Amino acid sequence: MITAWQSILNLPEHTPHAVVMILVLIISYLFVVLPCSLIMAFMERKLSADLQARVGPNRSGPAGFFQPVSDALKLMQKVDSPSSNRAEAIWLGIAGMALYSTVAVLPLGSLILLVDTDMSVFLPFWGVIVLTFATLMMGLTQDTVSGWLGGLRTSLRGMAGVFPALIAVLCAGLPAGGFSWSHIAAAQSAAPYHWTAFNNPFGAISLIVFLMSGMIVLGVAPLDGAISFSELRGGTAAHLSGPKLGMFRLSRFYGMFLWCVMAVVLFLGGWSIPEGLTEALRDSNSFGVIVLIELFVLLIKTFAVMLLIVMFSQVTPRMRVDQVTDLNWKVLSPFSLISLVGFAFWTAWLHG
Amino acid sequence: MTSSVLSTLAEYFRDVFRGARSLFGSFMTALPYLLNVNSGDLRKEVTEQYPDPVSSKTADDLPPRTRGLLFNDIDRCSACRECEWVCPVHCIEVETQSVPADAKVWVSKFDIDFAKCIFCGLCVEVCQPASLIHTKQFEGSVYDVRDLKKSFGRGPIGEDQRRKWARAQALDEGREDPKRGEWPS
Repeated sequence: MITAWQSILNLPEHTPHAVVMILVLIISYLFVVLPCSLIMAFMERKLSADLQARVGPNRSGPAGFFQPVSDALKLMQKVDSPSSNRAEAIWLGIAGMALYSTVAVLPLGSLILLVDTDMSVFLPFWGVIVLTFATLMMGLTQDTVSGWLGGLRTSLRGMAGVFPALIAVLCAGLPAGGFSWSHIAAAQSAAPYHWTAFNNPFGAISLIVFLMSGMIVLGVAPLDGAISFSELRGGTAAHLSGPKLGMFRLSRFYGMFLWCVMAVVLFLGGWSIPEGLTEALRDSNSFGVIVLIELFVLLIKTFAVMLLIVMFSQVTPRMRVDQVTDLNWKVLSPFSLISLVGFAFWTAWLHG
Repeated sequence: MTSSVLSTLAEYFRDVFRGARSLFGSFMTALPYLLNVNSGDLRKEVTEQYPDPVSSKTADDLPPRTRGLLFNDIDRCSACRECEWVCPVHCIEVETQSVPADAKVWVSKFDIDFAKCIFCGLCVEVCQPASLIHTKQFEGSVYDVRDLKKSFGRGPIGEDQRRKWARAQALDEGREDPKRGEWPS
């Protein structure tokens, strides 16, 4: 993969691997992750406006497309809250670092996979867990009611949501026979009936469990009861202002993007394009074209999943935080375990 | 009442199934909005666009009963003070000065504090001579809150005005002759 990138970037033969990796990380962050987070922020607002018969953002650029950019510019100009403290800034930085460190393991295509270890599927969860913990600590350092309760409830909700999500990841890894992104992608193909979600009776259940637990972990409406009730006024975000708030919001959309990409790669075929096409492109040494086509396929699926999530968030009334954790422990977790058992038997029957 | 494990399980799965079915129903309800079919009915967006060059609308395109900033036509105002009494936030201040018996009432002060005004429109409804109206102007932001106090009064009676009244009275009583082009008021 490193050699493929060297040929794409026209780097000399003897470039150290670390330099290539850093370059690839910067490129994939600037040209994939950041624009996709912004597009996601735009899509969420515009689609929820559509679903509610509103207009939505329509001022900045065509159909308000540059609204996230202008929001970011506005937030950057704002003066920081006078009561902000250093500990809060540190924890916010840790939260951002934990989340953005997952760019290294973000599965964006068969050639962009930089870290492809046996456990790379679980690495984003590490980021999410650290993010939850950092949000808790950030809330505790804020010395406000909304910070304290918001931080506690966020951590409660995040820790709860990770459990069914991890079980769902186990479900996806079982038939693939491994937990590296390349294993899981190789187990599926471009045809929908080979996707993990559809090639056995339990795939759809674990896909839904994975998506809903992601909404719980990241606090997407309507499962964001931990921070969105009126007595909390936004929880830990209530105390943030200016650039800090911008960073917090952007990392939320990055989290959603990450989760949708993971759902697509684990259950919906990922970046897979027809086998013959890949072979032909590989033979003609056009790695750049492979990267672009795979990225396109992946992002189309990701945005389709995103659309589902936005629809879900707009047609469902918001739940209290205890109802969210109830849903998590009493519905999602049992169903994830059911589908794990189902996957195990299915795989044993198929391969045994 | 005790229930067996099996019936509890059945109840649980029935609940989950009901939840999933209800969620699916909501999705189906929302789908026409997303695809924007049948956009002639309630699904149509009714959001009023902000009147500015982007929406190519002006303040005149606002609905006829828009309650914008108030305006008082001081020539028609009879200083009855109905508006001042009816105002729930006391944002109108009216003062008059005494005038000669047959002259029109002199409204020396008619201040509306738009910082207090809630644009309820009660003052416009009670205004008998219909001098107080809502304009369609809605952008009232200023740098200093004191600038939001708008004065429509004529101010204190000046020397010129007193001389004019005295002259009119003299003409009426026939003590002086009208000059060329001058008519009794």
